[in-house]
Amino acid sequence: MKRIASAVVLTTVAALAVVAAPAVSQPKVVKIGDLGSKVGVFEGYGKYQTMGIQMAVEELNAKGGVLGHRIEILSEDDETKPAPAVRKAEKLILQDDVKLLVGVVSSGATMAVMDVTKKHKTIHWNSVSCAEFMRTTKFHKYYFSNQPDSRMQANGLAKYIVDKMGKRVYIFYTDYAMGQSDGRQFKTALEKLGGEVVGVAGAPLDTKDFSPWFGAINQAAPEVLFLAFAGTDSLRLMTQLHSFGMTRKYKLAGIDCFLLQQDLPSIAEPMEGFVQLNHFSAYNPDKSMQAFNAKFRKRFGVDANIAAGAYDAVHFWAAAVEKATSFDPDRVAEAHEGMCREETHIGRQCIRKEDHQVVMDMHLYQVKGGKNIPIARIAGTDSIGEPMVGRDPVEGFSWEIKKKN
Amino acid sequence: MIFGLLGVMNFAHGELYMLGAYAGIAVIGVTHSFWVALIAAPLLVAALGAVTEVATLRPLYRREPLYGLILTFGLALVFREGARQIWGGDMRRVLPPVTGSTPLLGMTYPNYRLFLLGASSALLLLIWLFFTRTRAGVLVRAAVQDAEMLDGLGVNVPRLFTLTFAGSAALAALAGLLLAPVFTVYPQMGVEMILLAFIVVILGGMGSMGGSVVAALVIGTAQSLFSLWMNPQRVAIAIFAIMIVVLIVRPRGFFGREGVLE
Repeated sequence: MKRIASAVVLTTVAALAVVAAPAVSQPKVVKIGDLGSKVGVFEGYGKYQTMGIQMAVEELNAKGGVLGHRIEILSEDDETKPAPAVRKAEKLILQDDVKLLVGVVSSGATMAVMDVTKKHKTIHWNSVSCAEFMRTTKFHKYYFSNQPDSRMQANGLAKYIVDKMGKRVYIFYTDYAMGQSDGRQFKTALEKLGGEVVGVAGAPLDTKDFSPWFGAINQAAPEVLFLAFAGTDSLRLMTQLHSFGMTRKYKLAGIDCFLLQQDLPSIAEPMEGFVQLNHFSAYNPDKSMQAFNAKFRKRFGVDANIAAGAYDAVHFWAAAVEKATSFDPDRVAEAHEGMCREETHIGRQCIRKEDHQVVMDMHLYQVKGGKNIPIARIAGTDSIGEPMVGRDPVEGFSWEIKKKN
Repeated sequence: MIFGLLGVMNFAHGELYMLGAYAGIAVIGVTHSFWVALIAAPLLVAALGAVTEVATLRPLYRREPLYGLILTFGLALVFREGARQIWGGDMRRVLPPVTGSTPLLGMTYPNYRLFLLGASSALLLLIWLFFTRTRAGVLVRAAVQDAEMLDGLGVNVPRLFTLTFAGSAALAALAGLLLAPVFTVYPQMGVEMILLAFIVVILGGMGSMGGSVVAALVIGTAQSLFSLWMNPQRVAIAIFAIMIVVLIVRPRGFFGREGVLE
């Protein structure tokens, strides 16, 4: 009887060992979420975000992952709308248990997702959206951004425009969170520097025909036309402005993200002379930027782009997890604060403790012969502005046009 | 014509418009000529339309109209996602074959838009001549009136249906390519155009081509004029308001025939 009992116990132990063996040999996995536009007006940005995340994850996994966990990416489409973005974010967090969420592309959707990441205490990196509310009234402990927001962009652009391009500016923006934010911040910065806003107008996201707005722009007779658009809107707008002779009539300037540089050769003629802010450009001869671009090109066969931000975001997160020696969101969030990464494509990048915004230098480019030629470097410390967590960044703002004599 | 003749509300019409633009890009890639593409792309899409009609719509003619509606909705998804798989989701640009601009009434107007004005007027005239002055056009109109009677008179009605669908697809493709230099090319372009097209068709009266022309003129003119007086963003609201008022006063639209929707 004793022998039988021993045999049963041994058999059970052996069976358990067999069952358990694969689990022991399997590397542990940590999931991260890639939430972005896979279709629609911002499809290009979503696609590059995915590539950036993929490249960072491949590098990290090749070195053993993070805290001994192999990183797995789960990608979801936010359809460039807040409601699906929230739904997909909840799915990624609650069902898939992602420890990091990178995204999304549209500012409206990002702000909606911020409520989800705050509620479920999930580390959230934004590398594309730029509305000013994200590091002010919507800010939360788990949110980080390496995309220059509207305020940073306006601070960088307005001075160059007033000094070098002209003081009478018409602001034309895409009428949703991002464009409104860029328009507001630019108007504020420009007027502070003595520039005159001679007109403002907003066109809905994904407008097909911009020509109904052109009459008002011509009537205002600006020197500079400031454009806060992105994605396919930018391409259509530039094509139409050019066909109406307005690209030759006015000096043009635009925000970061105005155009994915891959689209530049196909729209070179309308874009000639256009001044754009960019925190990454494959045309920049800077060694670090070229090295990053070469690496990206080798992996995907195309120039890098806005992808650089998503790539950096994953590396920042992985470094913070290693520093915290845990995936606990509170500890990882605290580990992020003040962290710096050296020798990135844009040089040194540091996360400001107060509002979790990455302080980094930006470049101004001018399109010449279908290429982005760097014309100025703006120090991150000059453009970032004071931390405004919890404060309304648009308090006292008015779209009213102040006429100058 | 598809609705009048086949009794099918073609939800895939926008995708035929989109395929016309992509077919045009493909032809331009080979021939480097917009003008060749303007002939070849509609023919390619017409061939696709003919195959689609024979393979998918024909078996459904004797069924409830709802079947056709669901089918074309599905076809729209297949064409759209198919285009995305083949050409990718990135927006593409077609260079206008007519460049430059002309000073017109105090503003600079693109020559290509002036060309579109002339081309669409000519096309409209040709369509009118086809339906009123050619035997084929008269047969199509007769089939709209009474297809069974036409069948009894020895006309090959199924072939007429196929050719009508193919012709309609060709016209959509032609529009897609003509508008590509203005609005650019991307997989969803058909979805956005179809909404405006439905407003035009409903306002003009289902099954009435003349009605569609009048409605298109009313909407186009209203869009342009309202943009002068109000923020262009609010013009879309005004267009829907016009549609609501017209449908309240004339539920069948401007020239809708009795019994078409009943």
